[in-house]
Amino acid sequence: MNSSSRIVLGIVIIVAVIAGVFAFSQSPSTSNNVPATKNEPIKLGFIGPLTGDGAALGQNARAATEIAVAEVNAAGGIKGRPLEVIYEDGKCTGKEASNAANKLINADNVPVILGGLCSGETNSFAAAAEQAKRVVLSFCSSAPSITQAGDYIFRDYPSDLFQGSFAAKYVYETLGKKKVGIVYVKSDWGSGIKQVFSEEFSKLGGKIVAEEGYDQAARDLRTQLTKIKAAKPDLVYFLGYTEGSTVGLKQAAELKLGVPILGADGWDDPKLFANAGAAAEGVMYTVVSAPLSDAFKAKMKEKTGSEEVLACSPGAYDGVKILAQILASVGTDSTAIKDALYQVNYVGGVSAARVAFDKNGDPVEANYVVKIVKDGKATEVK
Amino acid sequence: MFFAQLVANSVIAGALYTLITLGFNLIYGATKFTNMAHGAVAAMGAYGVFFATREGWGLPLSIVAGVLVAGIVGVITDRLVFSPLRKKKARASVFVIASLGIFALLQSILSITFGAQFWPLLPPGTGRVFDIAGASVTEVQLWILGSAVAASGILFILLKFTIFGKVIRALSDDEEVAKMLGINTDRMIGVIFFLGSMLAGLAGILSGFDTGVQPTMGLFLLLEGAVSSIVGGIGSLVGGILGAFLLGFVENFGIWFIASQWKGAIAFGLLTIFLIFRPRGIMGKD
Repeated sequence: MNSSSRIVLGIVIIVAVIAGVFAFSQSPSTSNNVPATKNEPIKLGFIGPLTGDGAALGQNARAATEIAVAEVNAAGGIKGRPLEVIYEDGKCTGKEASNAANKLINADNVPVILGGLCSGETNSFAAAAEQAKRVVLSFCSSAPSITQAGDYIFRDYPSDLFQGSFAAKYVYETLGKKKVGIVYVKSDWGSGIKQVFSEEFSKLGGKIVAEEGYDQAARDLRTQLTKIKAAKPDLVYFLGYTEGSTVGLKQAAELKLGVPILGADGWDDPKLFANAGAAAEGVMYTVVSAPLSDAFKAKMKEKTGSEEVLACSPGAYDGVKILAQILASVGTDSTAIKDALYQVNYVGGVSAARVAFDKNGDPVEANYVVKIVKDGKATEVK
Repeated sequence: MFFAQLVANSVIAGALYTLITLGFNLIYGATKFTNMAHGAVAAMGAYGVFFATREGWGLPLSIVAGVLVAGIVGVITDRLVFSPLRKKKARASVFVIASLGIFALLQSILSITFGAQFWPLLPPGTGRVFDIAGASVTEVQLWILGSAVAASGILFILLKFTIFGKVIRALSDDEEVAKMLGINTDRMIGVIFFLGSMLAGLAGILSGFDTGVQPTMGLFLLLEGAVSSIVGGIGSLVGGILGAFLLGFVENFGIWFIASQWKGAIAFGLLTIFLIFRPRGIMGKD
């Protein structure tokens, strides 16, 4: 036997051993309807960006989820069984989120996935979850395409159909700006909201003078911004995540864009304003208006050490609470959970005055506010 | 005015690509393989500065440290991986795959040590913005341009007018013959890795100053550097510079005329055109 065939044989043996260990360490499970053993935890999955783009939003939402889970468990859990959440990092990309969802569905066998946070994450695994009959409850994905994602796919965060038309009306009617240049990240979220805004704004009588997209990983937006500047807009609508926007806002300031800038809920992240510094002064953004209670704010501060409750956290918190109620009444069968979600009418939460889902699993209503950045802090425009 | 801004954007992009492609070509010339780890070595340099400034070192000292970190990492990759492969007379494809492995390893080390988040390397609001013939140019960008000019100049003088340069050129022409003439080729390649990696580190640091750092930043630098190098004529230093500026101009002027969504595709479109019609690049020789 020569050396290369020995190596090949060696690799084959190693792979076989790993596969064997893996297969035997896993209890065979074909259905998610595991018989309830007393005190055995009920496991849910969580997918959101814990590192990379959007990580600040994801970490904050994770903190809110942990608070909600701790509260459910402190109150006796689900009929005596503790609730447990398995956190997976979707990195705000479809590929990572899809891997994470496969693991949660096939290895951890969870009935419900809370997430994803980014629309690209949720879109990437919605079909697989639908096929495996697992409930997905996204707490922050806003791309319009998720409306049609499937019967098992829900979200307690409004579609950008709401946000895009709110922004269009705000720009045209409240700010009185008639010519807009759009720079947007080429993600499900960015492209989705751009499209709704353009349609609504044109319908109102406004004009989109430039439309420039950029890759989510791009960090040089100078030529896009130069092009926007050349089109002489009255306002720039900038749809980006924290990382690209940090650089983009600085570059806009360097290029002396000189017009107001409006962003969207992706900017509800203090890291952006801290890192962009003076370049972010005076920018505005739209964000879902959440009836945050003082008690919730205090709990978040205790957990994260910061005053800030970011855009995705209230939805994650309410999501856990809603699921806990449902799990207590119908058990862990995912089809029963799905049916119960369509009947939900949850009031007194922190994400919306009332959480209820329409026949597509979308929230029935949505309210937005506009925030403006002053001295590095975002405050609501009254 | 917008024309001036576009030219400025293109020149600065070209200067950054020049820095990365110079080191890339230097290493290719001596070793005859495309070193994929080059991009990650650039990221190492940027993170060297990131770490040093967090520790409270001054900016000049941090930059020196970052450049040295990149150089040393480059030499280590050569000593631990490429030198043993050379002794075994491994095929070029083995080198490329090994370098890809090093790329992934270095990137993972950065993610584990510093996290995968994006950070600006300079505090907000540092550096002035100049108005040059109607184009806004930042201080950092002038540094990028200056560094590219200085690095190209120094490298040119080094290769053309010194014994060391003659040795490198002999090595690039034919490693076996150079060895017969009594040149310690293995040690010389180590020195070339040090120089080339320091240039990569400088590119990574300046790119970090211009935008920010992220462990995955190396991939972007590697791709732009590799495309510049192939378009210019792989292994040729002058070709690399021409390729870098051509790429910078085509990318930035390209998205002026077509939708900017296509920026990423433009670089590879240019590469494809060259591979079909002029595979040896602008300055290519056999």
